[in-house]
Amino acid sequence: MRTLLGLTVANVKSLVRDRAALFWTIFFPIMFVFLFGWLFGGNGGDTKVSVGYVDLDSTPASAGLRQAFSSVTLLNLKDGSLEDEKAAMQHGDVSAVIVIPKGLQDALVAARSGSKASIAIEVYGDPSQNQTTQLVQGVVAQVANGFNLAAQGGTAILTVSQLTLQSTSISAVTYLVPSILAMALMQLGVFAAIPLVQQREKGILKRIGATPLARWKLVGSNVLLRLMIAVVDAVLIVGIGIVMFNVKITGNPLEAIGVVLLGAAAFLAIGFMLASFLKTEEQASGVVQIVQMPMMFLSGIFFSFDFLPGFLQTVARFLPLTYLGDALRQVMVNGTQVAPLGMDLAILTGWLVVCLAISARSFRWE
Amino acid sequence: MTQSGEFVIRVTDLKKYYGDVKAVDGVTFEVARGEVFGMLGPNGAGKTTTIEVLEGLRPPDSGNVEVLGLDVRRHPQSIKQRIGVQLQSVSLYPRLTVTELLDLFGSFFSHHVPTKQLIDAVDLGERAKAWSMNLSGGQQQRLSIALALVNDPELVFLDEPTTGLDPQARRSLWDLIKGLQERGKSVILTTHYMEEATELCNRVAIMDHGRILEMGAVSELIGRRFKERAVFFDSNPQLPMDQLARLGGVTRTAQEDGQTVLYSKDVPGTIAALLAAADGLSLEPRNLGIRQATLEDVFLDLTGRALRD
Repeated sequence: MRTLLGLTVANVKSLVRDRAALFWTIFFPIMFVFLFGWLFGGNGGDTKVSVGYVDLDSTPASAGLRQAFSSVTLLNLKDGSLEDEKAAMQHGDVSAVIVIPKGLQDALVAARSGSKASIAIEVYGDPSQNQTTQLVQGVVAQVANGFNLAAQGGTAILTVSQLTLQSTSISAVTYLVPSILAMALMQLGVFAAIPLVQQREKGILKRIGATPLARWKLVGSNVLLRLMIAVVDAVLIVGIGIVMFNVKITGNPLEAIGVVLLGAAAFLAIGFMLASFLKTEEQASGVVQIVQMPMMFLSGIFFSFDFLPGFLQTVARFLPLTYLGDALRQVMVNGTQVAPLGMDLAILTGWLVVCLAISARSFRWE
Repeated sequence: MTQSGEFVIRVTDLKKYYGDVKAVDGVTFEVARGEVFGMLGPNGAGKTTTIEVLEGLRPPDSGNVEVLGLDVRRHPQSIKQRIGVQLQSVSLYPRLTVTELLDLFGSFFSHHVPTKQLIDAVDLGERAKAWSMNLSGGQQQRLSIALALVNDPELVFLDEPTTGLDPQARRSLWDLIKGLQERGKSVILTTHYMEEATELCNRVAIMDHGRILEMGAVSELIGRRFKERAVFFDSNPQLPMDQLARLGGVTRTAQEDGQTVLYSKDVPGTIAALLAAADGLSLEPRNLGIRQATLEDVFLDLTGRALRD
């Protein structure tokens, strides 16, 4: 225990004295917070999507629906005829067109008397703006869903859409802070492969074996150091988010720290697994980049999971970073979820256990 | 225990194979307490593997290996407390100071020497607060020897301690190693430098292809093979070896680094004959010289190649 502590102190001193390492492990993620903070501003809803709105029904019911849509801060509605709005979309003046079909009120009345017939709201999208189209479709679906619920419950129509409003207007920075933290933890863990490979390549791990120091303590002290950095990163990133960019953290701090530690441990295990199969420091730095760069962009931590194109969603479903980002978002800012929290944690634990088992089998000290 | 007082190492018929590669192929030797024992040989000769077995890093395939009177297979932990192993501290914690590193490594052992004393022993007092990465090559080697001494070991393993150092730094390290012997420690060292082995070692073992080819005091090894002195000059194709071998007093010939070496019982006679032969061809042997046979000659004679290759 005393030697483990001594080694950890040595690790901390080494880190603090190494400006490059300090930069990458602590200041680089913080830079991201500032970058995104300035880019997306302190409050959400600044970025509006202009949408053409065509009401073919023109009844009290469709007017109610119009009001529900107009209260979605993300959308900037432009009313007009179907032809005008389609033309506007082709000119790029609006990004999508929402069409309320004729017969909406009749359908609602019929539904109250038990009819199962449904009526579709049409959304015209620009295929070249896939993300925006999906965004608008998502909003329309939520509004329609609220509308349906209200219609069946027989209660006032407008009150329902207020609920959908909240989750769509979560501020961009609030969404991104847990993502940046997830990125930092992922890099912290995966990059742990490099010093380990380096120490093995230089024969240090082998020579340590000729002293009474147990070699696992050398590795263990490294794990301790990195878990400590994980907590420091979490505090700094979230702290700066709150103080500088008005990020609202709603979750329990202890739960959040728990997820941070689990995530860091899972990615450390991935780093150790990589170190088990890599022989030279050059290989390690290369492979670590090949692992971490695509993971950073394909996990959907920097955009809502739903905005990813279909096949990338499939890729993202296999990446552990997706679930760390999702878990952090859920415990910290109560954001929309990719998977239930329990599943996120189970998947991260799975990665941790499997990668540790592989490392334990394959790791070589020399 | 009486034996352990006499010998710090007893190795009998040690073998270590890696698949078809016979890294160590039946090695037997002993190292007496207080001795500096050198292991010489080209890369791949088996010295490092032998030493790693002695340090408890690798189990032997067969043979008997006792270190400080203890079987390496049964008591590796007790042995590790009592031996010193040179560690390249710089690659482990480049940003820790000399003092911090010695304190840290001391904490690995149940018993350790005060750091101040170690720093004085390797003459690093002025650099005690310097990061190890900022030390010169010679200072780094002295630090790595200090690290090998933190537990006041009875037996110290030094693996090529002066490789890559300039001659002055090498000399100062030699003094340090001699000092270890004066303090009653036994030392096993590997080296590429024959001069170093001659200067430091009481006895040397010359290894190649996993075997010990010859073992003994340096002067004894030279005397056993070379009653002669060596006449050398830049090789010249007009003076073929078979002709040179017949010159008066010549017992053996060798080629080394572009030089022809004639081992001679009668140096004046050999030189006279050589000059006469050369004169007949109207040429003059370049860089002609005479020297005592060295460990290098022994090595060349045993393995057919120079150690540096």
